[in-house]
Amino acid sequence: MKPLVLNQIIKHYAGKTAVDQLSLEVEAGEIYGLLGANGAGKTTTMRMVLGLIYPDEGEILYDGRPYRKELQHKMGYLPEERGLYPKVKISDQLVYLGQLRGMTHKDAVQSLHKWLERFDAMEYLDKRIEELSKGNQQKMGFIAAVIHHPSILILDEAFSGLDPVNVEMLKEVIQELRDDGTAILFSTHRMEHVEELCRNMTILRRSKPVLQGNLRDIKNTYPREKVVLRTAHPLSGLSDIEGIVHVEPQDENGRYLIHINQEQAAQQILQLAMQHGNVEQFEIKEPTLNEIFIKVVGNNE
Amino acid sequence: MNKLGHVINFTYRNKVKNKSFRWTTLTLAVLLLVGLNVPYFIQLFSGNNGEDNMKIGIATSSYNEIATQIQQAAQKQQTLSSAAEDTATNTSSQAKDTQLQWQAKAESESVLRQQVEDGSIGGYLLLQKPTTGDVAFPTVTYVSEKNNAKIQNLLQTATQTAKVQYIAEGKLTNTQLEQIGTPVIVNQTSIDDLNKSSTEPKENPIKSNTENYILVYLLMILFFFSLTITGNMIASEITAEKSSRVMEILISSLSPLTQMFGKIIGVFLVGLTQIASYGIVIAINLSLPYYQEVLAGFDLHVSNLSLNVVGFGLLYYVLGYFLYATLFAAIGSIVSRTEDLGQAIAPITMLTLAAFYIGIFSISNSDSLLMRISSYIPFFSPTTVIVRIGLGSMPIWEIAISIAILLISIFFFGWLSARIYRTGVLMYGKRPTLKELRKAMKSYKL
Repeated sequence: MKPLVLNQIIKHYAGKTAVDQLSLEVEAGEIYGLLGANGAGKTTTMRMVLGLIYPDEGEILYDGRPYRKELQHKMGYLPEERGLYPKVKISDQLVYLGQLRGMTHKDAVQSLHKWLERFDAMEYLDKRIEELSKGNQQKMGFIAAVIHHPSILILDEAFSGLDPVNVEMLKEVIQELRDDGTAILFSTHRMEHVEELCRNMTILRRSKPVLQGNLRDIKNTYPREKVVLRTAHPLSGLSDIEGIVHVEPQDENGRYLIHINQEQAAQQILQLAMQHGNVEQFEIKEPTLNEIFIKVVGNNE
Repeated sequence: MNKLGHVINFTYRNKVKNKSFRWTTLTLAVLLLVGLNVPYFIQLFSGNNGEDNMKIGIATSSYNEIATQIQQAAQKQQTLSSAAEDTATNTSSQAKDTQLQWQAKAESESVLRQQVEDGSIGGYLLLQKPTTGDVAFPTVTYVSEKNNAKIQNLLQTATQTAKVQYIAEGKLTNTQLEQIGTPVIVNQTSIDDLNKSSTEPKENPIKSNTENYILVYLLMILFFFSLTITGNMIASEITAEKSSRVMEILISSLSPLTQMFGKIIGVFLVGLTQIASYGIVIAINLSLPYYQEVLAGFDLHVSNLSLNVVGFGLLYYVLGYFLYATLFAAIGSIVSRTEDLGQAIAPITMLTLAAFYIGIFSISNSDSLLMRISSYIPFFSPTTVIVRIGLGSMPIWEIAISIAILLISIFFFGWLSARIYRTGVLMYGKRPTLKELRKAMKSYKL
């Protein structure tokens, strides 16, 4: 039984369709990426999953059954604009939020301590949110989402506003949670995070899912159209090869970036380069998710 | 419901721990302390306004006989009332009435006017020929720099006596004249009190109204002020939760109904704490010897309080609080920023004001049609019904209907507010119009 299944969800909002026929499945121990431009319907989808609003059509199943109250204790949520009480002590409010998720006071305190230690933030225990830096506030928001060991975790733009060190730390933590069997639904603008973390994903464009499925499969369906080549000496005759669209001039490190539209052109490029001397670097780049995203979302706009 | 307890506990503790809350409470308590003692200090510095005795003269050209009669009547009346020891009326205060000292002989008006101006006498009576009507009895004017209603009253009665004497032309005996001169008092009491005093006779049935009057007044003021303060607190707490987005975590953790009522009850307890702290300040003050004397002068007894007023007063206070509190919560939930809150809660503030003023202005006319109608309007009944129970008469079936209406309204507005709350907390940006709100409400289930 999959922890989270969305089946043909439709949601109308103030005369517009906010989410149109979205289906997706998240397994235990999986991070599912939800991608989309602003206003594409990501937050609405997450709110429906949380049971805050109800889909007009379609159904959301949790372990095969519809929404029920006990799920309040099983789901964790990190909203996009993370919210905590600015003037209340960290320990007070996080324990409170844990209690509201059905924990006892003792368990909540224990869990809070464990998480603060994990984030190396024990010294904030008695501080107030408004005294913390933005990055640290975000860590506290994350703790609020996971303090009660949720089996379904919903993260809306979890990494926005974090410095690289904290992004790495949070990534690690999320991967640990995944390995512990948590089903994670994760939305972002940053494609590289999806590439690193997610197995499956959905790209939403204007409320509609436009690209969906396994990340590997998706990438394989998009042709490889870039070749990176570094040679000791400048190369001539590249433009004679069939299938080359455009050759960008060498950069400071002597690298060519060659755009192709036929995959066999890459092999010919390599042969040509080897005839002319040493090849220092040769790579057929697979399309980045970013490029796919722009291709899918950027077109027909 | 365990979560309800958590919400109440969290709301209460954070509010009471809050520094600004503590300072406001403390400041108000100090102001109360000072305010309660101001009369004492004023009295300490100025004594009894220096008016234990006041000289008074009479200016007349041709009404010497009447002047003497007025003077005698006034003197007799003053000796009588000071001997009567204030048992009959409750208008007497701790300060003794000013005693008039009459000047022996009549002076001309210009002399007396001079004396008033330089302060050697407090005032004088001017007896003049009336411009119309019977010239035999003069028009009487009291000329004084000070406006003293009591003295004016006294002189009026004395003049009345003199007039009777003049008309009767000596046909009345002195005893009869004295009886005419004694001011009549009309006591007011309700049938309830009368019935009570027939079973357990009281010394003064009329007295019971004073205490109830004070109680009703206090209850109304308490209702209005604590509602204004706590109502604002509820609305702004909810708006703050919404604008800090902690709301999104809250609504995914527990039902909006629990959340809303947890907040309302929590703030209610905060309000009670605040009232209790002021109550302690007042109680300490009233137990000071100075206030004990004043209170003794008022001759008030707790035993005179009607249990009905106390009981129904508290019941209506709590019910009224919950009715308004749900509305404040609903308003708080549809506003996104604390700055916009004042404008948004204005309509409810108007309702509380209306409830307060209908009660206050009808306190002496407690069974008017307005009051009867208002007792069935749930927003007004918390003040109007206690006025009617305390100072008028309200049949028990009317009270029952009124409470039933109030309870139904609480359920209705509680339900409506919870729905608005549920919808409102997720609507950001500009304040939604009623139409938008109604539309949005359809997509949520409670």
